[in-house]
Amino acid sequence: MTGLFKTLATAAGLAAMVATPILASASELPGNVRMVIGSKSTGGDTYQNSAIIAEALSKKLDINVKVDAVGASEAFKALERDSRGTTIMIFHDQSYLAHLYGVRGYDDIFENFKVGPTVAINPGNAYLVAKNSPLQSMEDVIAAAAAGQRVRVAIQAGGVSEIGFSALKNAVKIQHPGAEENIVPVNTGSQADKNQLLFDGQADVINGSVQANEQFTQLPEDDQKAMRFIWLTAREETIAQANPEGMGDTTRDELLAFTTPNVSVTMDGEKDFTFDKEFFLLFNKDMDPEQIATIDKALTEIFAAGEIQETQKASFFIPNFKPSAEATEYLKAKREDYRHIIDAIATN
Amino acid sequence: MDLISILTPLFFTLVAVGTVIGIIFGAIPGMTATMAVAVCLPLTYSLGLENGLALLLGLYVGGISGGLVPAILLNIPGTPSSITTTLDGYPMTMAGEGENALKIGIISSVIGGLISLAALYLFAPALADFAIKFSYIEKFLIIFFALTVMAALSSSLLVGIFSGVLGIFISLIGAYDISRGGNGELRLVPEFLEYYLESGFSLLPVLIGLFGLATILIEAENGMPEGQGLSGVKIAKGKPFRLSVFKGQIINLIRSSGIGTFVGILPGVGGSAASILAYSQEKNFSRHPERFGKGEPAGVIASESANNGLTGGALVPLLSLGIPGDSTTAILIGAFTLQGIQVGPLFIGNNPVTWDAMIIAMLAANLVMFLVMIFAIRHIAKVVSVPKNILFPIILMMCVVGAYTINYGVMFDVWTLLIFGLFGYLAHKIGLEIAPFIIGFILGPSAEIYFVKSLESFGTLSIFFTKSWIAVLLWVLIALSIGFSIMVSRKTKKMR
Amino acid sequence: MSQDSLLGVSINFDTSHTVFPTIIAVILGILFVAILVTRGKTMLAAVGNGPWWPVGIDHMRFFGTIAGTVVYFLAMPAVGDLFPNTGLGFYLCSIPYLFGMSVLYLHERGRKQLLIAGLNAIIAPSLVWYILSELFNISLP
Repeated sequence: MTGLFKTLATAAGLAAMVATPILASASELPGNVRMVIGSKSTGGDTYQNSAIIAEALSKKLDINVKVDAVGASEAFKALERDSRGTTIMIFHDQSYLAHLYGVRGYDDIFENFKVGPTVAINPGNAYLVAKNSPLQSMEDVIAAAAAGQRVRVAIQAGGVSEIGFSALKNAVKIQHPGAEENIVPVNTGSQADKNQLLFDGQADVINGSVQANEQFTQLPEDDQKAMRFIWLTAREETIAQANPEGMGDTTRDELLAFTTPNVSVTMDGEKDFTFDKEFFLLFNKDMDPEQIATIDKALTEIFAAGEIQETQKASFFIPNFKPSAEATEYLKAKREDYRHIIDAIATN
Repeated sequence: MDLISILTPLFFTLVAVGTVIGIIFGAIPGMTATMAVAVCLPLTYSLGLENGLALLLGLYVGGISGGLVPAILLNIPGTPSSITTTLDGYPMTMAGEGENALKIGIISSVIGGLISLAALYLFAPALADFAIKFSYIEKFLIIFFALTVMAALSSSLLVGIFSGVLGIFISLIGAYDISRGGNGELRLVPEFLEYYLESGFSLLPVLIGLFGLATILIEAENGMPEGQGLSGVKIAKGKPFRLSVFKGQIINLIRSSGIGTFVGILPGVGGSAASILAYSQEKNFSRHPERFGKGEPAGVIASESANNGLTGGALVPLLSLGIPGDSTTAILIGAFTLQGIQVGPLFIGNNPVTWDAMIIAMLAANLVMFLVMIFAIRHIAKVVSVPKNILFPIILMMCVVGAYTINYGVMFDVWTLLIFGLFGYLAHKIGLEIAPFIIGFILGPSAEIYFVKSLESFGTLSIFFTKSWIAVLLWVLIALSIGFSIMVSRKTKKMR
Repeated sequence: MSQDSLLGVSINFDTSHTVFPTIIAVILGILFVAILVTRGKTMLAAVGNGPWWPVGIDHMRFFGTIAGTVVYFLAMPAVGDLFPNTGLGFYLCSIPYLFGMSVLYLHERGRKQLLIAGLNAIIAPSLVWYILSELFNISLP
């Protein structure tokens, strides 16, 4: 049936009219590129990041790049269908973490797609407690679990929000074998729900972010909404690259107090666990390598010019450009680290 | 920067332009306020924060208000929150009162918008502190309360409730959404449809399928008779408009605006619940509940003041908790993050000027909306005199555009439109009731999350009664609402 | 399932996706039976007394609308695929669809009516496509 329409339209001479200028040479990208993202929200960090990259690419390559917030499952479908380079995708670590956690609908991205360049880090992944909580630090949390106290952690299951929780559980297992069952997840959804669980006293620790929760940490202790950071999962050197003003009323130096090595959640008894939420491009498996090279080259030049870094930092993102080949190897290694943690706590 | 230097002519021009574009989006079946805000969001980056917000808030107020036009004139809700406007607005149009219904709707809208704006300005932080007293349990009970409305909207209690529960059932199709706290597993999906139904059916295509396409199919079945039903109505036939319709409606206006504001304040309950709750409460309190659904102005008043009441309410959690109160404010939050402004409990204190500018923008948007719509009414109402063979194909096309763009380009949403167009036609044939069905469909997913999560946390059903005084109060309201519905249903049966 | 009290319920997160659908399915079943019991007779009578659907309806307009819409929906992504991300699939398919439907719904197909239908079929999609796809950069099929 669809073949019929194609024939009809082509016969009408329409294809000749419009399609010709699209593909001038193999390495060139089409004039209209659709950038699908793994999030349905146009207010979130994925959209924001993608908008920055889309605009830079549009200007650099003189094409029209449009961001569509279709969500992970529709984005993967759209990307699978189109190998011409007219559809590209931006997503973050969720894409492979969800697969590691066995979430239905997520397959191995390294097998089904080509992993493209990384572009930025959102360093904000954080864990918080109520301001009046007896738990003062991650050490307290681990000690409480070791002493047999149930510590309830509000997270969203199967991805970026859960990986810090898994790391905590793994750390307790290494330091106090058997006590890890005292670290219990409270599976929930949005940031609003996680905050609400803390307000209700239905969770002891919540997953959150510097961006969304910083203002709550500035409230006086007698306010039911007041919170306190106890852990930022980002690497020390990631936060160190942020603007010195940090976020809101919390400076960069104050933020650094919550990262490794000041807060230690061990990964294997020696190294501390860290997690940076990194944004990267994904391409169709059969997309022309020359087109990918074009994008790599364009982004290399964009990042070399240095302007985009300012835009990213102003929105509390840490620039982190790695071209496709390097990014693929890097992300594969990153995945193996996390696979190890998730396997370790699953087999008990 | 001080307030005066922000309030430039450009600022007010942007409010006005936003409001007008918003009204147009809201008035076209299939296009919504949310879409209008999403489309214009990228433009705000270059405008700066206050000017950008002026545009977006105009779009928001205009978009929510514009929804009443197709609801009243064509029986197609322009936005999900104007579903209950169709119930009495369209019968009024059929009786030649379309222009009056529009005027009543517009006046109610502006009053609802202003009341909620006052609540936002005066009490935002206090309201936010009250909102966080609502945990999973109280939110479930609010939704349950809204669901009891199904009974009030049904012409036959049993069939109505069956239709509503069917709506809930169909809303559960697909994955148990991880981003709302589910586990991501599929349910109620046949294997061969798994590829398409991963995220279930989207609300907007279902809505416009049921109301738009189904109506057109029914007309097509009857051979598109000119001069009767849709579009055959003589506009001039009705009585001249008098403000006296609003006599005795003061309590209705305040209550409905209050319900709208309040529902907006509670994140996660969903904006459409506002007008549904307000409509049913007005019906329950009315001395003539039997007139509802047949062209009772009080129904239009309740519905429209509530959905505009939502606009101020939904901004409360956004500006005092950093959490959007409905789908449109969820996009609005992007305007702040794009400019690097944090929204959270300190926002109002840290940005007093932006805050004042927003209130002024909202105020201006409400006034512009009122003036534009009240003067354009005569021309808008002429839509019904466009011949069907021109009007219907355009509606069909716009429904397709709306369905395709609601999730930024998913073809299955367009097919959903057709599926539910056929379903709506079938439902009409076998006597299922559409209004309770769509209410069940809208509220089903939230009901599920809050119900299941309550039990996951507390492990006992008794928690729904013992959690807090709010829970107890909600049970009293639920019992009253059900009681009233049964009474009304008995009364109308006797009258027949 | 039951814990200490009569109302106790314990829910396992991994199977929590079936809890609510099961409850709703049961309620739906009960209501369905209740409807059968109270109205079964009237319903049977209605089915017994023809005329059977689709007798007595406007076949051409009813089935024409459905068939036209299905073809339109199939054609849009197919044509759109030839001109990726331009919205031309929507534009090029909407013109014949609008014209087809307009003519289908017409009662007298005089020259004037056909001309109006044709103009409408060209102007409406052009406007929509230009404003949404070109000005606002919205994705269309």
